[in-house]
Amino acid sequence: MEAYRQEIILGAVFLYMAFCIITGIWAMRRTKNSSDFFMAGRSLGPIVVSLALFSSTLSGFGFVGGPGLVYSIGVSSFWMVVISSSGYAIGFFLVAKRIRMIAELRDCISLPDIVAARYNSEVVRFLMAITIVLGVMGYLATQILAMAVVMQAILSGTEMFAEISILSCVVISSAVLIFYCVTGGIIASVYTDVVQGTIMVVAGGLILITATAVFDGGMQEATSIILADDSEAIMPFGAAGIMASLGWFFVFGLGLAGQPHLITKMMMNKEMADNRTIFPMSLFGYVMAALLWISIGIIMRAAVIDGVIDPLQAPDDAASVFLSIFANPLLAGVVFAGLFAAIMSTSDAFLNIGTAAIIHDIPKAINGKSIDNELFWARVVTVLLAAVAASFALYSYYLDATLVALLGAFGWATFAASIFPVVAIGLNWKGATVPGAISAIISALVINFSVQLAGISLPHGISGGLVAFITSLTLFLGVSAVTKKPSIGADIEQALDI
Amino acid sequence: MSNKLITFIFILCLLLGLLLVAIVLTDEVANAGGIAHSEIAGMTAGGDGELRLEHIGTYSFLFQSLLLLLIVCLCALGVSPRYRSTAFYGYMALCYGLMLFIWWQMYFGHQRFMQTDEVTYFMGFPTPTAWQMYGTWLGAIPLMLIYTLGFRKFIYTQADDQAFQALLSKRKSTTHR
Repeated sequence: MEAYRQEIILGAVFLYMAFCIITGIWAMRRTKNSSDFFMAGRSLGPIVVSLALFSSTLSGFGFVGGPGLVYSIGVSSFWMVVISSSGYAIGFFLVAKRIRMIAELRDCISLPDIVAARYNSEVVRFLMAITIVLGVMGYLATQILAMAVVMQAILSGTEMFAEISILSCVVISSAVLIFYCVTGGIIASVYTDVVQGTIMVVAGGLILITATAVFDGGMQEATSIILADDSEAIMPFGAAGIMASLGWFFVFGLGLAGQPHLITKMMMNKEMADNRTIFPMSLFGYVMAALLWISIGIIMRAAVIDGVIDPLQAPDDAASVFLSIFANPLLAGVVFAGLFAAIMSTSDAFLNIGTAAIIHDIPKAINGKSIDNELFWARVVTVLLAAVAASFALYSYYLDATLVALLGAFGWATFAASIFPVVAIGLNWKGATVPGAISAIISALVINFSVQLAGISLPHGISGGLVAFITSLTLFLGVSAVTKKPSIGADIEQALDI
Repeated sequence: MSNKLITFIFILCLLLGLLLVAIVLTDEVANAGGIAHSEIAGMTAGGDGELRLEHIGTYSFLFQSLLLLLIVCLCALGVSPRYRSTAFYGYMALCYGLMLFIWWQMYFGHQRFMQTDEVTYFMGFPTPTAWQMYGTWLGAIPLMLIYTLGFRKFIYTQADDQAFQALLSKRKSTTHR
């Protein structure tokens, strides 16, 4: 079996791509209107929503960047993962019930729809839509590039595709992505999430078993090796230090309830009462999948320090090198397919919310109504958005990485800082006002952009995202306290009382 | 909606902001955010742990203690004020107590290690790291239990469901008119 390792991995990935195309065709038959395209008709069961929710939390970053971070900075990066239980708790307590209620009450198909209903303000809708579009471009470009780089790494190991270029890989991966997003919309995304989630849960467990077998003394021997080399790297705050760790705890924990691609999934369940089972199931899935992140990272750091393997060319190679050296070829194939699933479904979710912002929310905020024939235009804009993101990815790879890096700054931290106060607190506090929401969104965008543009490095490993988040939260509450409450719809007022 | 709770959350945010300012204003040490590993490219080391906590250790401990309190308060904000009974606040206080205990064990376990160099292990990790990895995850499980088991008591009761269905019917009849 070892002799066919590359073929097995390639087979698993192509099998998955074929699955995506079939899912797209199947989902197209179930997509009758824009509500189906963007919201899956609010008809999903608890298992599907649970798997979609947790697998959206872990994009390709969970497979590639996560283990790479543990290899690079040790335990510091665990803080992004261990916060998940608190993060999900905040998301479910603050968002799940109210977002679902308002979505049904006002027939909302996007997050800006929700905030427009809550604040009775088209300005807040517009700002939210712009934030989403900017964030989506950065996320999508990096996801497409990641998919192309991994595809090139797999294909170049074969004789036939040894010289394949990154351009060809971007074209192939974008074509599959566009096909299944355009045909299937969010329905295709959530069912791919189901496959991805299942793969991740199974792979997480199997990878942990594989990882603990690398050293005779198991995980304890690996952590002892790291401890002997540099004790701080394996102590609770890792190599990056206490403030970097606590900053991630803050931004990744509270920020989970501010991620548009996650909280829109909380609008899709059929029954409100399903939330009580969706919460524990999502958390269980996430914890299982995170075993992959943690165990690969720790073993690779220990193996390099101990001289078992050569130092990696780049930290992000941790997962692929681990899979090629230590994992059974079948398991490696499954995990690589899971990686593609993670990137595809996250990209689809971002394409979906980005398209909704462009064809539904921005026209509504400007003209007071969305465009005619939304489903048709949703498909057209999905193609255009993916094409622009793929161009950004190629431009970044061949010419200048600044643009994508800049858009990438509109990642998790910016969504967290700009969306969390407005949505998570705003849906639970009638005193939240339009000026409060505007100041939170603008301060979050300005601080994150400024830190990125000016290349500001804060002391003690403090991130710009943490500063932006605390500022936007404080401004939202403070400005709302001293400004006039908006007159909101009676139905929304009553929904906020339930 | 409870004004007292939102005021308390606002005060917590202000305090977190002030602590962040205080931390920024302290003297920074060379390895505060890690230093390049001496032998392996692409790897970062932490170096002297005591040195990098020298100026910010207490502030950081307070920062996380307040952040955990903020998490519990935000969860409480998601529960309708009429269901925030004494029992509910009691459960939330227990949740905070557990999270604080785990944070205490992790932080002071790390301090003890730096002072003595003695290390014990729990399930593959040095004990302070095990508190971080297993403890932090498990620390919020009581919040999940309150949500899941108390769903019909605190989150969305049968009366809430009836009220929402009535609201939906009213809305539909208004829009169809």
